[in-house]
Amino acid sequence: MAVATLGLLAIIAVQILYKTEVDTIGFETWRPVVYAYMLWGVAIGIGQVLTRGEDGQRALFLLPALLFTIAMVIFPTLFGFYIALTDWNLSSITGRKFNGLDNFWQMLADPYYRNALFNMVLYVLAVLVEYAIAFGLALLLNAQIRARKFFRVVFLMPLMLSPVAVSWMVGKSIMEYRFGPAATLARYLGWENPAFFSDPITARISIMVLDAWTFIPFMMIMLLAGLQAMSREVLEAARVDGATPWQTFWQVTFPLMLPVSVTAVILRIIFKLKLADIIITVTSGGPGGATDSVSSFIYREYRDRSNVGYGTMLAMAYLVIIVVFVTWLLKFANRFVRNVN
Amino acid sequence: MRVSLFNQLMRAGASRRDVLKGAAGMAALSAASGVGLGALTRPAFAADDLRAQILQVPGVGKGQPTDADFQKVGEMCLGATKASVKQGEFAGVELTFMGLNNQNLHNVLYRGFLKAWEDYTGAKFTWIDLAQADYGARLQQSIATGTVDFDVIEMGAPFEGDVCGKGLASEMPDWVKKQIEMDDLVNYLKPPVGTWDGKQYRVTVDGDAHNFNYRTDVFSDKGLADAWKAAGNATPWGVPTTWQQVQAVTKFLKGQKFNGQDVYGYLDAPKAWGGFGFYFLGSRATAYAKHPDDKAWLFDADTMKPRINNPAWVRAIQDVIDALPFEPADQINADPNTTGFSQFLAGTGSMIPWWGDIGSNAKTNDSSVIGDTVGFSILPGSDDVYNSKTGKWDTLASGPNFSPNCAYLGWGVYVMARVDSDEKKKKAAWSAAAHLGGKDLSLWCAAYPSGFQPYRNSHFNIPEWVAAGYDEAFITSYLKSEADSYNHPNAAIEPRIPGIFQYYSAAEDILANTFAGKMKAQEGADAIAAAWEKLTDQLGRENQIKLYKASLGV
Repeated sequence: MAVATLGLLAIIAVQILYKTEVDTIGFETWRPVVYAYMLWGVAIGIGQVLTRGEDGQRALFLLPALLFTIAMVIFPTLFGFYIALTDWNLSSITGRKFNGLDNFWQMLADPYYRNALFNMVLYVLAVLVEYAIAFGLALLLNAQIRARKFFRVVFLMPLMLSPVAVSWMVGKSIMEYRFGPAATLARYLGWENPAFFSDPITARISIMVLDAWTFIPFMMIMLLAGLQAMSREVLEAARVDGATPWQTFWQVTFPLMLPVSVTAVILRIIFKLKLADIIITVTSGGPGGATDSVSSFIYREYRDRSNVGYGTMLAMAYLVIIVVFVTWLLKFANRFVRNVN
Repeated sequence: MRVSLFNQLMRAGASRRDVLKGAAGMAALSAASGVGLGALTRPAFAADDLRAQILQVPGVGKGQPTDADFQKVGEMCLGATKASVKQGEFAGVELTFMGLNNQNLHNVLYRGFLKAWEDYTGAKFTWIDLAQADYGARLQQSIATGTVDFDVIEMGAPFEGDVCGKGLASEMPDWVKKQIEMDDLVNYLKPPVGTWDGKQYRVTVDGDAHNFNYRTDVFSDKGLADAWKAAGNATPWGVPTTWQQVQAVTKFLKGQKFNGQDVYGYLDAPKAWGGFGFYFLGSRATAYAKHPDDKAWLFDADTMKPRINNPAWVRAIQDVIDALPFEPADQINADPNTTGFSQFLAGTGSMIPWWGDIGSNAKTNDSSVIGDTVGFSILPGSDDVYNSKTGKWDTLASGPNFSPNCAYLGWGVYVMARVDSDEKKKKAAWSAAAHLGGKDLSLWCAAYPSGFQPYRNSHFNIPEWVAAGYDEAFITSYLKSEADSYNHPNAAIEPRIPGIFQYYSAAEDILANTFAGKMKAQEGADAIAAAWEKLTDQLGRENQIKLYKASLGV
């Protein structure tokens, strides 16, 4: 194992020296390093079995996943943090240059990034409205209504659509100002200029509606599963005790559904934090940045401006914000559920 | 017209209206021939049979061309390939082509054009299709990460600094220069465009300039003319020829009715479009910013100091801000694709600048409703022009300052250097590029929706277009606007410098805020200038200055 490890480290060192033009011996691409890593993994596996016997065999079950995670998650993340500390514009003749925390300070002073973060707060708050609608639909589909199975399938369909397709079908066709059915209906109802994406507030709400239309079914299906798993005896007991439908919902169903609700909301928030495709397709972040999300801004910075170093810094900072926020959210949710129950 | 000829045409099935239109067109042609286009027209000879035949596929006014038409045209134009390549000579060669698929054009046509070429030569192509807005990023990433995974690329001249300057392109062999008849290119597309360090790399397949597209029916309407006069305007109602007039007309048309519907004037394209949207502000600005005595207009040539925040550009930005309230209610969310194809061709708006696609689509695109009511000219001028050297506005003795925006310099087909090590593959790649840039095939591309505009002197032979089914007055107007833009002595030429789309993209974000009212015009312009200065430093100022000067020819 030690030989394999030393071999791997030697190949990595040679390749780094070659690529940084310190030495003239090395490989044209990094592919040999990948092969060396795979061989090292095999050697580690064999070594585990030879040195630790049955424990080593057990470790073999875990090792491939661990090596894969290191190669595909941990290394790229660390490499990403390194890229975030470089000045790397793809058109620059000098290539990549280490520039310390310059990108970080630039990010703190960037009004477009702050604007996108502010928009994200609003988008995340909209999840509460989506949750209320999803819960209502779930209750409806859990009730004894006609064609219940048909409606379950129909309500799920938006979730099956690509957000890009939704952007074109709904955002750029149905909501189109001149000929779109939604605009025509709005005119019929008295809205003289039904431009859904021209005014900052209207545009933001329109993006929220588009996104909600796609993802409410996701929350709805989770809540519906929770409702169906709920004990019917509890509900019947509430009815026997004379509870009204509202009391049954508010004092029995809702508290019992809290764990499912929290899971659904948190998963939905995580999806929401990645919101980009609808915005990129429909508004490009406009008007005046009103609909910009962090992801859509990073997309422009990275794609249109080839500003890899700064774009990566924005992405890494956002990753840290998300991790901290979601960790806090999980703790808060746990405490909330405990207190209610 | 002679009665016998009239009767003959009527027997052949032409309607009285068609005949009258043809006669009127001939009269217009005669008039135009005497004032400039004459030099570009020539009678069609029997030797031009092939050109006449391909222009009948499918025939103007007979629906939008399909893949079968692309294949047929590709097959008909295979003569030059057969003269230089033996049948099956490239058997086993596999090539990859990277290009666009905008509006189902570009690569979509090329597949069809190359079908017969593949069958004849034995080579096979695989395709990388990209949306316009994804193109620059994909190309830059390939270059920067050393992962050029294509052998042939459809690319614009602005990227030549990034690709040819880094030794990634293959130098054009002499036999290709001969096959594609490079001398036929219009002057502004001849070297240095397509070259780097004196070497030729590009098979030009397109000519690009923004021309001015307007609705002839709107500007000849008596009701609007009366309303215009009643509004106190001293000048007669007609097509604006200066930006000052464009602004006045746009403000006047708000609230007016035409054919019972709301009518709008100029259509701005304020929404970001991967950097390409900046060209549309450029078209508003060139008449203000491009002084006849100064080749530079976007940066100071000696320092790369941005001119975007000088009074000329700020006036153009202010024009957009002033005009937007008079444009359709959702205009702030319109990108150029919307203004050109969803709005203007569909009948909304009466004036837009665009590349020549509007002209080639107006009569041949199934979604166009303006085929008979569209006219063309070079971009409007300005009563005065800003002189960056003196810092003052000049009024020229010759009248308004005109400066067509030669935006993007057209698409070209380039072969990548990675094929150079394999002679067979190299010849195959260049043969395919030459086929796509062939003289006859290019005429068809200019005449039908393809994403490509006229770019050869031979494209301006009006009788060929008329024989294909184009209305003479229409095509005369269209080709004149293109030719006059290309050949204008004060044309604003696109800078071929690395990262040019990063400049444009950075500007688009700031302009979006400015147009939305979050910044004043001067503040927005200053912010763009600051971003551009930073970008120039990041890319290497000295190198950018050198390349900018080279692109301007100073």
